[in-house]
Amino acid sequence: MIQLSYLDYLAVEKKSFLHRLSPKLKIIVMILILFAIVTVRNLPGLFLLYLFLLGLYFLARVPMRIFPLTLYPLVFAFLFIFLSGFQPFFILLIFLKVLCGSTGVVLLLATTPYPSIFSVLGKVLPSSFVMALFLTYRSVFILLSVLEETQNALYLRGGIQWRHPWRSLTNISNAFGHLIIKGIDSSEKMYESMVIRGFKGQIHYRRE
Amino acid sequence: MSHIHLPDGVLPVWLWASGFVIVILIWAVLFRLMKKEELTRRFPLLGMMAAVMVLGASVEIVPIAYHVNLTVMSGILLGPSLIFLATFVVNVILALFGHGGITVIALNTLMFSIEGALGYFLFHLFWRLLRRLGLAVFLATFLALSVSTFSMIGVVSLGTSHYEELIHQEEGKGIIGFEFGKEKEGHHKEGLPEKEVNMNRFIAIILPLGFIGWVLEGIITALIARYIHRLRPDLLRLDKENR
Repeated sequence: MIQLSYLDYLAVEKKSFLHRLSPKLKIIVMILILFAIVTVRNLPGLFLLYLFLLGLYFLARVPMRIFPLTLYPLVFAFLFIFLSGFQPFFILLIFLKVLCGSTGVVLLLATTPYPSIFSVLGKVLPSSFVMALFLTYRSVFILLSVLEETQNALYLRGGIQWRHPWRSLTNISNAFGHLIIKGIDSSEKMYESMVIRGFKGQIHYRRE
Repeated sequence: MSHIHLPDGVLPVWLWASGFVIVILIWAVLFRLMKKEELTRRFPLLGMMAAVMVLGASVEIVPIAYHVNLTVMSGILLGPSLIFLATFVVNVILALFGHGGITVIALNTLMFSIEGALGYFLFHLFWRLLRRLGLAVFLATFLALSVSTFSMIGVVSLGTSHYEELIHQEEGKGIIGFEFGKEKEGHHKEGLPEKEVNMNRFIAIILPLGFIGWVLEGIITALIARYIHRLRPDLLRLDKENR
């Protein structure tokens, strides 16, 4: 999840043709890709879609460093193949669907800043939901900085060692507890500063 | 483990579409019942707890593909109604990372919300009965996670005929198949094997892994609750029940 800040950096700083396209258009294309994933049921079709997405990935010059993110959901898809009686066709179908979906969303995120995605969503979703998305997005970055400090403290307390499972669990739990308390303190401060700036239940953002 | 890490296009359309309908209905009811000022005041907390859940999902125990959800802890801190909105936000963000498909966001929200809301009620019940924080949180987490895992299995099993259809697609001719509510029609065409979807095998894999996960998350959540109780007991709002 540390990749979140890197993805955000890529979306804002890189300047490929995909970055320059309007967020609305990219979201519409993503919906079409989803439609294809849901409806296409043959391997060549899905394979072509995956090749198309890979082509876009390289044309948009998205670094290989985040490519493993597109493969991550395969871990969970692996569990699902037990349903099928290990039929190669079904396994390949599921894996291609997974790869198309994850490559599509990673491509969208790496070329479109989160606030732009949320502002497009704001046109179809209730304002309270979009506000919750914005606040969560902001909070993730606050917590990531707390997490960095906590990692050092965790390391000094022995970190995570498989030879000492109980101590490791206690350390992980204390780190999460610390993260939650720090997070709640920050949320209280955030609310106070939002009220001072005139917050009345709605966040206004630039629709661009 | 207690939510569906399924890709898009695997579950039948009627199933994930009904998930969205149910989520919208619950949403409408909750927004009518909740006081607007209270909701506005607690929004930053909601965002922060959703962020904690997002970060929790990144801590993965690789051999069993398990990650902590922290939904029960969030449910205890946010309450049963706000947890619903928080889990929806978490699932949208996780889906944007390919962590579960976009079409299953609503079903995953329902699963997470069951976990969070049930965890909240069970925690308060066990606290009243046992008066031991660690044990109450552990039992609440263990039970809430097991219920949500069983509901996940239930949801996956609802699409059995659809998976059979996907498996037999190889023998069929279509490139594209878009069916809404067609799953109930007979799929066992002549010449095709009777039933190849093996839910029992799926359950046999999921439940032991799930059990390890319930115990691990139960312990972690209980230790987190103890840590919070030591430093900020007001957050757990137990004083009302102590009187």
